[in-house]
Amino acid sequence: MKNFAFNVFVIITLIPSFWVALSSNIVHAAFSLFFTFFGVAGLYVLLGADFLGVLQVLVYISGILVLIIFGVMMTQRAQMEHISTRLPGRFAGAVLSVLVFGGFMVAVYKTAWPKLTELPEPVPTTSEIGNLLLGKYLIPFEVASVLLLAVLVGAALIVRQSVRKE
Amino acid sequence: MADLYQKLVMLLGDDLTVLILGIVLTLGFIQFNSLFLIWLERKVAGHMQLRLGPMEVGPHGIIQTIADGIKLVGKQLITPRYVDKWLFMLAPVIVLMPVPLAFLVLPVHPGVVVLDMNVGILLIFGFSTLNVLTILMAGWGSHNKYSLLGAIRAVAQNIAYESPLLVTVITAVLWARSLNMSAIVDAQDKIWFVFTPWGALAFLIFLISATAETNRAPFDLPEAESELVAGFHTEYSGMRFAMFFLAEYTNMFIVSAVGVTLFLGGWRGPILPGFIWFLLKSYVLVFMFLWFRWTFPRVRFDQLLGFAWKVLLPIALVNLVVTGGAIKLIDLIR
Amino acid sequence: MDLVQIARSNLEGFRYAGTEVALCVLIVALLLSGVILPFRKNRRLFLIISMLGLALAMTASLKQPGAGKGVRYFADLFLWDSFSVFFKLFFVAAAAFTILMAQMNREVEDYEFNECCLLVVSVTLGMVLLASSVDLLMIYLAFETMSLLSYLLVGIRFREARGGEAALKYVLYGAFTSGVMLFGFSLVYGLAGTTDIMEIGRILNSAHMAGQNRALFVLMVLFFLAGLLFKTASFPFHIWCPDVYEGAPTPVTAFLSVGPKAAGFAVFIRLFYTLFAREVGDQGFAAIEQVDWPAIVAVISAITMSLGNLSAIHQDNVKRLLAYSSIAHAGYLLMGIACLDKLGLEAVAFYLVVYLFMNLGAFAVVTAVNNGEGGEDIRFYRGLSARAPMACVAMAVFLFSLIGIPPFAGFVGKVFLFSAVILKKYYWLAIVAAINTVISLYYYVRLIKAMFIDQAEVSFEPRVSGVSYAVIGALALPTLVLGVYWQPLAAFIESIF
Repeated sequence: MKNFAFNVFVIITLIPSFWVALSSNIVHAAFSLFFTFFGVAGLYVLLGADFLGVLQVLVYISGILVLIIFGVMMTQRAQMEHISTRLPGRFAGAVLSVLVFGGFMVAVYKTAWPKLTELPEPVPTTSEIGNLLLGKYLIPFEVASVLLLAVLVGAALIVRQSVRKE
Repeated sequence: MADLYQKLVMLLGDDLTVLILGIVLTLGFIQFNSLFLIWLERKVAGHMQLRLGPMEVGPHGIIQTIADGIKLVGKQLITPRYVDKWLFMLAPVIVLMPVPLAFLVLPVHPGVVVLDMNVGILLIFGFSTLNVLTILMAGWGSHNKYSLLGAIRAVAQNIAYESPLLVTVITAVLWARSLNMSAIVDAQDKIWFVFTPWGALAFLIFLISATAETNRAPFDLPEAESELVAGFHTEYSGMRFAMFFLAEYTNMFIVSAVGVTLFLGGWRGPILPGFIWFLLKSYVLVFMFLWFRWTFPRVRFDQLLGFAWKVLLPIALVNLVVTGGAIKLIDLIR
Repeated sequence: MDLVQIARSNLEGFRYAGTEVALCVLIVALLLSGVILPFRKNRRLFLIISMLGLALAMTASLKQPGAGKGVRYFADLFLWDSFSVFFKLFFVAAAAFTILMAQMNREVEDYEFNECCLLVVSVTLGMVLLASSVDLLMIYLAFETMSLLSYLLVGIRFREARGGEAALKYVLYGAFTSGVMLFGFSLVYGLAGTTDIMEIGRILNSAHMAGQNRALFVLMVLFFLAGLLFKTASFPFHIWCPDVYEGAPTPVTAFLSVGPKAAGFAVFIRLFYTLFAREVGDQGFAAIEQVDWPAIVAVISAITMSLGNLSAIHQDNVKRLLAYSSIAHAGYLLMGIACLDKLGLEAVAFYLVVYLFMNLGAFAVVTAVNNGEGGEDIRFYRGLSARAPMACVAMAVFLFSLIGIPPFAGFVGKVFLFSAVILKKYYWLAIVAAINTVISLYYYVRLIKAMFIDQAEVSFEPRVSGVSYAVIGALALPTLVLGVYWQPLAAFIESIF
């Protein structure tokens, strides 16, 4: 049952991501990301990270994806613009990806990964994550907020410039 | 019935049976709820404007909506020539997808909840915000300027009001100390959250934001008829249009039910059984949404966004801090 | 550890995090003072605030740890050792010079100066954190803090064609390479099961791992290299460099060519010498058996310096020229990393310090010429010595030092690097580097010739202010002094490895 669910989510993740990469319609590519993010959220939940899975939906789909699509729509002539590379570029890309993929397969299958002796029972992760964020990872958490603050200031700087020009 | 249930349990196992039954019941309820709400809306609108509303089909027009539904199913599905076919077709299909999921984690009766998830409340908001995505799909796919404008408005508005909404939800979660919906109801056994000062404020902000989230008047700018024809669903006809309609009314109910669970004690109440209280409270909230629509004029778009970012969000954040302090204080006193 | 212990560790950590705290305070101070309207365009005020804050950060990082392996702080995510202290001082100094240059620069307008300072300080915070963190998670976060904010710094001129192109190229390349590096991190985590790089190093270098999982190790090394070679602007991820350097405002360019580049080297050393090498004896290291990464780095180093120098020959734009020169210097610095002993690392650190002064100095002169009616093209430099003799002399000092001619500091730095390479018996690499030095002579001297010998082509009055002269002087002095009196710095650097 769990294996079946895993396979379903893998398919939901992978097939649309091909579409993201190959579609020449940028809006379709952006919408395909929806299924990819959704599949990834499902994988998280299957791996016992329920909180992370739900946050994936909340942050990536209803936050980041909406912003991406919004950005794409605001781009001039998004629908007319067909973003596809020429054939030689595609060919080179295909060869490269096959090579990288082959390298991965070799590396993953030839490696003696340290294995867990038994799968732990999935436990509620929310409070554990909270404790880590306010305990061991408090400083990274704060650094991230400083980063976001500075990024906000920088973004305002760039936007204001365009406003002043008009 | 009991016999059938036993057979299903033997066939599928306990969890799956409950899940399937839950989904089937949910889908049934969604249909009933929309039929009822559309009728109710027309009635409420009528009476507020000193009219009677639908009266012809059935006593007090009670089966008017069913007749309308049959009409919509029978109508031709028009697909304009230049639409983006994939998005245009997909939008009405996935608009209803997140809705049943949200129902599954709602505790409707003491001990009755289909999926007792630890992160239930997050799940609801995770899925109900997918709504924006379908609006974008419909708006872009229609290849129509009114649709696109409506979609863009919807996104700006939803992003703006999601922030205060989630902050108030966090306030309630803080009070209950759990993300689990059942635990949130349990935490209100002594006092409903709305009867605390900070809870009342949070509930008010929740109500306002929820109205905007469901694109209801006075915040219905994404589909403002007088300027945008019908906003993002201008180009949809027949059953496709009906799907959007269905989703809108279902979302209204879900938001009300979530409000009831977070602030009004869920199924708690004297004498009557739990699920009756749950439905009763939810429909009272739904009625308030209808009431808003027919009493408030539509706001201007910049006022709308300014109100969310400059007024609601700061108040909600301060309220969150106050709630946290109050919880600590109560702990100290005990 | 339980929560109370962690909270205590977090509190005690502030004893070692003086620099970080000072920078955070400075960020807040800049933010708050920038909000007050009457101050908006007051460059001098923000300059004073920044300088005070950076001086505070500098003094906070002066405290030296004693002998030993240093102290772990903030729940073991950071390490306070002489290595991190050295780089903290380095980054704060780079930030101070950058802000001074930005103050006298006309490309950064008055109303942008506050944000510009704030971003530079935030990038510095990212670099400082990067130098001291020893946890993969924290390293990545600090790396991204540095990267994201430097994209924004480059994008200050976003609406102008060149600025927009520069910012976009930087973002796209940067996002791709740091994504690849993150993937490498995940592989390492999968193999070791922890994010603490000391612990990972112990596991990867342990006896039972020896010679195993070759394919995975190759992937890990390659993925790590992607992110690091991008930051240091080395082959094959150097292509962004000339366009970004040209499109960004000159002080930002100067900062990028020194700050993030040195940060790239710092994390390069930290990661590769902890994860993929172990200490052997007193002076040396031994690389892991699975991948001969020092050889890869040596080859990349040779290609990088040759590419940089050969491409620089045809450049007429001084900023592009300096961009290619900075690629070439990344190549020289990589030689030291490929050496795999303490001598090589010391040479890298020494050369970085020298590079800080001479490269920032060259950009400071470019900034000064840019002000007024001047530009970045070599036309503006023809016959400049008649009108701005002091600036030209200073520029000549910086350029000679960049070539590596005695008695300037660059020469001493190159001597250290070359001797480390030769002692390690990388003769071919030393020969390539020597040939490259000769090539570089051509285009640096071409600029010097333009300034001192050629007839003026464009007549304009360079406006070199007093502050500019002070900054240029402050940078020229160490370039000269370190060329003849380098022992104290060399001794200090010897103590950090």
